[in-house]
Amino acid sequence: MRNLLDFFLKYNYWFLFVLLEVISFVLLFRFNGYQGSVFFTSANLVAGAMHDAAGNVTGYFHLKTINDELVQRNVELELQLESLRKTLVEATEDSTGIEQMKQDALADYDLLKAEVINNSVKHADNYITLNKGKADGVRSEMGVVTGSGVVGIVYLTSAHYSIVIPVLNSKSNISCKIRRSDYFGVLQWDGGSSQYAYVRDMPRHSQFSLGDTIVTSGHSAVFPSGIPVGTVDDIADSHDGLSYLLRVKLFTDFARLNDVRIIAHKGQEEQLELEKQVKTTK
Amino acid sequence: MLTIIQRIEWFIGLALLQVLVLNRVHIDGYATPFFFIYFILKYNSGASRNVLMTWAFLLGLTVDVCSNTAGMNAAAATLLAFLREPILRGVTLRDSADDFEPSVRTMGFSSFFRYILLCCCLFCTVQVLIDTFSFFRISILLLKILTDISSTLICILCAEAIRRKA
Repeated sequence: MRNLLDFFLKYNYWFLFVLLEVISFVLLFRFNGYQGSVFFTSANLVAGAMHDAAGNVTGYFHLKTINDELVQRNVELELQLESLRKTLVEATEDSTGIEQMKQDALADYDLLKAEVINNSVKHADNYITLNKGKADGVRSEMGVVTGSGVVGIVYLTSAHYSIVIPVLNSKSNISCKIRRSDYFGVLQWDGGSSQYAYVRDMPRHSQFSLGDTIVTSGHSAVFPSGIPVGTVDDIADSHDGLSYLLRVKLFTDFARLNDVRIIAHKGQEEQLELEKQVKTTK
Repeated sequence: MLTIIQRIEWFIGLALLQVLVLNRVHIDGYATPFFFIYFILKYNSGASRNVLMTWAFLLGLTVDVCSNTAGMNAAAATLLAFLREPILRGVTLRDSADDFEPSVRTMGFSSFFRYILLCCCLFCTVQVLIDTFSFFRISILLLKILTDISSTLICILCAEAIRRKA
């Protein structure tokens, strides 16, 4: 007995070591599956406020490039507007132009402005922290976009901050389609470069070519249809050979995110409520 | 030796530096310096393992909470703190009974370099392995580990050089 006690006393650091490692791994696995772990992420008040302050400073660093991009986008939109106006004048009875469709599609959605205060692109599972939370009307499962394309889906929210699962996370699954032919697949990321992601489950008979634009499909209540995602960069067979695997060059530059918009679907709660009712009456 | 207040200052300073600056330093996802382990490396050699492990765990956890990597850095830092004593004993030829702060001055350059090299290798390998959690693409994994180790080493050597002059 005495020897046993001596043994335990002599090697007491082993117990602390095992204890601390167990705590670490419990955190590691809990965070990956448990929605309420706000405390151990940057959605908590202290870390959130700190990143908020830092974000206010670093937000200025990219102003020049962001300005350039805005000017570029502005010019493009001006040109587009001009040509659309011409088409509209030529065929006034045709009110189903792309712009009109886009406006119709956005009618059911509210856009909330938010700023990125913490971001990473180097991990296998990246997360983004935004400076808007429940108090501003953000709920989990809302879509997040930027001027150039899709960013991700809101995962956790605290009172004033929220965490987004961007495309650059292995848990991200965004339904999207080829704009030209409407065939759809699932957008996923498997690590590596932050500029490329993959679209899986594209049927073998689908028609597309390199350079085609990929947009969101609108099948889920998260994103409206037609939000740009990227362009087809490379085509390969899937592992089982039953479908195509497309490499997509993403429009969004995740390493340089700043201002984003959160998409709040007006009918989302109603739709979920309805779906729940159907399930319970079964 | 540092007082407890000075230690807490180092703790906060290194955690902030890691979270706000160094975590954003990378070349296309590679070569991120994990400079906060400097805190563990410089802890005086006579300190008990339990104390060092507790500090390391808390530091790793602080970095984790702020960068949404719950548990990842905490696990790797605790392991580093646990294995620091044998590593330190292995690279120094002198009697390990006396209490000193590891540095070029107290250990000589070659011992000190071997010490930080081993510690960086250990920490970066464990950290990257926990992060990716697969051996699927071994070449990318190795490249990431190697570049992370070299950038961490460069940071630590720079810090040593600056502190020596100051």
